[in-house]
Amino acid sequence: MSDGSSIGKMKKFHHDNVMKYVLMAIASVTVVIIFFIILFILINGAGAIGDIGIIKFLTGLEWRPSAGSYGAVPLITGTVMVTLGAILFALPLGLGSAIFISEVAPKRLRNILKPICEVFAGIPSVVYGFFGLIVLVPMLRGLFPDHLLFGTSWLAGSIVLGIMALPTIVSVSEDAMRAVPRSYREASMAMGATRWETTRRVVVPAAISGIAAATILGIGRAIGETMAVMMVTGNSPIIPAPLWNFFEMLRTITATLALEMPDVVSGSTHYSALFLLALILMLMVLAINYAAKVIIRRSRRKFGDSAQPLTPSRSYLAPLYNAPSALQMLFILCAFVSITILSLLFVDMSASLILASVITVGLMLFMAVGSLRSSKYRQYKEGLPEETRYKISKNSSRMLRSATLTGVFIFVWMIASLFTDAFISAAVAFVVIVAIVASAPAARRMSAGWKEKIAHSSLTVVVAIVVIILIALVYDIVSKGLPALSLDFLFGYPEDGGTGGGIFPAIVGTVQLMIGTMMIAFPLGIISGIYLSEYAKNTRSTRIIREAIDILNGTPSVVFGLFGMAALVIYLGTGYALIAGCITLAFMVLPVIIRTTEEAVIAVPKELREASLAMGASKWETTMKVVIPAAFGGVVTGLILSLGRAAGETAPIMFTAAVVFRSSISLSLLDPVMALPYHLYFLASEVPGSSVMQYGTALVLLLMVLFMFAMASVVRYKYNKNIKW
Amino acid sequence: MTDTNVMDIEGFNLWYGDKQALFDVAMNVRKNKITALIGPSGCGKSTLLRCMNRMNDIVDGCRVQGKMTYHGQDIYERGTDVMALRKRIGMIFQKPNPFPMSVRDNITYGPKIHGITKQSELDEIVERSLKQAVLWDEVHDRLDQSALSLSGGQQQRLCIARTLSINPEVILMDEPTSALDPIATAKIEDLAVELEKDYTVVIVTHNMQQAARISDYTGFMYIGRMIEFDRTERIFSKPSDELTERYITGRFG
Ligand SMILES: Nc1ncnc2c1ncn2[C@@H]1O[C@H](COP(=O)(O)OP(=O)(O)O)[C@@H](O)[C@H]1O
Ligand SMILES: [Mg+2]
Repeated sequence: MSDGSSIGKMKKFHHDNVMKYVLMAIASVTVVIIFFIILFILINGAGAIGDIGIIKFLTGLEWRPSAGSYGAVPLITGTVMVTLGAILFALPLGLGSAIFISEVAPKRLRNILKPICEVFAGIPSVVYGFFGLIVLVPMLRGLFPDHLLFGTSWLAGSIVLGIMALPTIVSVSEDAMRAVPRSYREASMAMGATRWETTRRVVVPAAISGIAAATILGIGRAIGETMAVMMVTGNSPIIPAPLWNFFEMLRTITATLALEMPDVVSGSTHYSALFLLALILMLMVLAINYAAKVIIRRSRRKFGDSAQPLTPSRSYLAPLYNAPSALQMLFILCAFVSITILSLLFVDMSASLILASVITVGLMLFMAVGSLRSSKYRQYKEGLPEETRYKISKNSSRMLRSATLTGVFIFVWMIASLFTDAFISAAVAFVVIVAIVASAPAARRMSAGWKEKIAHSSLTVVVAIVVIILIALVYDIVSKGLPALSLDFLFGYPEDGGTGGGIFPAIVGTVQLMIGTMMIAFPLGIISGIYLSEYAKNTRSTRIIREAIDILNGTPSVVFGLFGMAALVIYLGTGYALIAGCITLAFMVLPVIIRTTEEAVIAVPKELREASLAMGASKWETTMKVVIPAAFGGVVTGLILSLGRAAGETAPIMFTAAVVFRSSISLSLLDPVMALPYHLYFLASEVPGSSVMQYGTALVLLLMVLFMFAMASVVRYKYNKNIKW
Repeated sequence: MTDTNVMDIEGFNLWYGDKQALFDVAMNVRKNKITALIGPSGCGKSTLLRCMNRMNDIVDGCRVQGKMTYHGQDIYERGTDVMALRKRIGMIFQKPNPFPMSVRDNITYGPKIHGITKQSELDEIVERSLKQAVLWDEVHDRLDQSALSLSGGQQQRLCIARTLSINPEVILMDEPTSALDPIATAKIEDLAVELEKDYTVVIVTHNMQQAARISDYTGFMYIGRMIEFDRTERIFSKPSDELTERYITGRFG
């Protein structure tokens, strides 16, 4: 074509722009939805601030809506405590397993353990709660008959939550350790370090930010958990006494929302107090996820080549770090005594001693680390003499050691004091400390080979424990659920109040919910994801939109349930209806779908797009013909996984769509439905004598969710095989 | 003059899974000399080098057969203390791989692993190793900065210093300059020659000039076989094998 004007006219300008605006319109629907949810919760929660007063709400020690007292402290304490316990339980097990899988296990074993972990991350929380209630709670009652009247307790909640957080912790920290370049390991081994020394001194320190992020993500998941904790913690809104008494019952924020929401009058103080609770919960999760984000970002920088310059410690405590060690000890002693005396005004002797010791340990750690850092800086900047530096580093490592020992002492003492009186517990703790100190020199003299043997065998034990727990869970459900499965069970209606008959309406209801969710969430999510990654410019407003998506992504599912109930069931007046459940679930999975779509699309190499554009294809054509086919596997995997998650969720449907009994199948969008997760919850917590039905329901739910996971991995496998870049 | 052998290799075979990567290799490593391994890429130079301190142990499915001795002791014998072996035979890798720690911690890593805890001793080691690696002048005032803040050439010399910190007898270098610019390369080459006085060096390179410049012995490898092993002057002036000649004169393939 010699006609010069043929490049002057952009033929494709038109349809490219039209498509862009169509996509934008659909994406903005999503944006409106997202901001609407956030604002709705904010506005409803704000009402309570006027009625109750934020100070009173946050400091009140009693939660008794019937008596008009709305003190959130017991609920916040409950949430924090149960999460803390879960991490204490899950962290050693999770970290140990991750180290084992990444550094010790032969390749074949790793290839089995890793996918197992991922499957367990997908099991619905109501199934974990069911296992906790049926197996763990009676077991704990048997173990501690003097301390646990019912078995439902903080301890049970923490263990169940810990088991749930395990897969996340294992899988994310294993990824972090895998990401440590092989060259680091080789360099270390080439100098004659054992595998264990390499792990301990090179791999774990290099992966520490990833490990921290994994832990935090685990915490985030635990904090927002509803069904499992609600089923096993006993739900009394009290502050444990003493504070560390893990045999007490307690109640989390999430459980409060789930328990009280159904009976609350719209617009009342109680109603907005629940929204305020939801808001606090969201803020907690937000803070945690933000911390994880910062840490992950920092770890990316570490593996890049950019230098990390030494920064001066600008703290006002600097004079304290640099003080002579005698002065530091004096300071610590003073702090201990004054905190003890001060807190005696509020609590009893043992509690104030504990409080003082905990704060003192924190202080010691802080000072040790601070002085080490500032001495390095001063040496570099001011030429601090070497000798002084040794002294400082020796001092601070001594302080670190004593802080650790004190910490161990307090911990042992606290636990022991739950079983016997204070003096005997102190003696026990003392013996433990002496044993540690006495065995330290022997441990130091042990050869590297022996240390490695001991370390690796302990890791093996840890992994064995984790695997046994997980297998026990699956085995219990499968072995007791299988006998229940029959045609009558699968295709029959519940009879005798749930103790007999079948679960047909629950199966159909769950399928209906999933289809509805799919129809709402998929188009919106996929198109918004594509728009955000391919079209949206990186402006302030897209950044805000991304932030908002992330906020919703971390929001606990019970909060969505709350939203669905208030906005749809009550305000729009749908009542308990299929449509309300579908919308709620769809909104819940929307952020996940947008995010995974975006990630899959971004992972398509730039070269492919450039090749297409360079041949004169329009942006829309490139997107449709090159980008989407290339990202297809990733997108579909994300869709299936999100649907699997929706299928297992209980909290979002329990006040929007699910009822305990339906005598017929209805296809109407405005009728309520039965659903498997809710049915399981109902049977397990309200219907004694329905054990067979419970196990059958749990098994069917489990199979359904696992089937989706299997499908997702087949898709991923197939597409990864075909597409290589 | 009589050169004593530090390592003897004879009839040495290696498999990665089913695939054989070394065939009947024979060579030796002389004390306080530089031995170079040359050959086209993929011919097994790195593989052979990594056998010398058993770094191939960490590769899944790697199997060896044949004789490889260090001071007369078979290093593949059962019960060999691999950690002790690697302490005596250190290794420098193709891409500089300092740990993401401070310069000081990189150097003290090895000594600490091997049981040195006294601060003053550690500091002496830091200074001595960095001086030996001709890096001291450049980094003595930033020992506590991240090693990743150094330039590529400095990082590689830091890795050499890190290896020197545990006083090895032999230093294995796998294309230590291939990731560096010409100036940094020249510095590493000078360093290798300098090290020859106190250490025994085996260096893999695909740069023939480098081999000719710095080495005393050269082995030419081709598809897993040691085609020729001899004094460097001989290899480069009067090779006895036709393949070797074609390779060093650049008429290959
Ligand atoms: N870890 C490994 N697993 C399987 N094969 C390998 C591995 N490392 C190297 N090889 C193969 O062994 C041969 C020799 O490789 P290498 O020793 O790296 O060669 P060179 O260093 O001479 O370039 C090559 O064919 C390579 O593909
Ligand atoms: Mg190589």
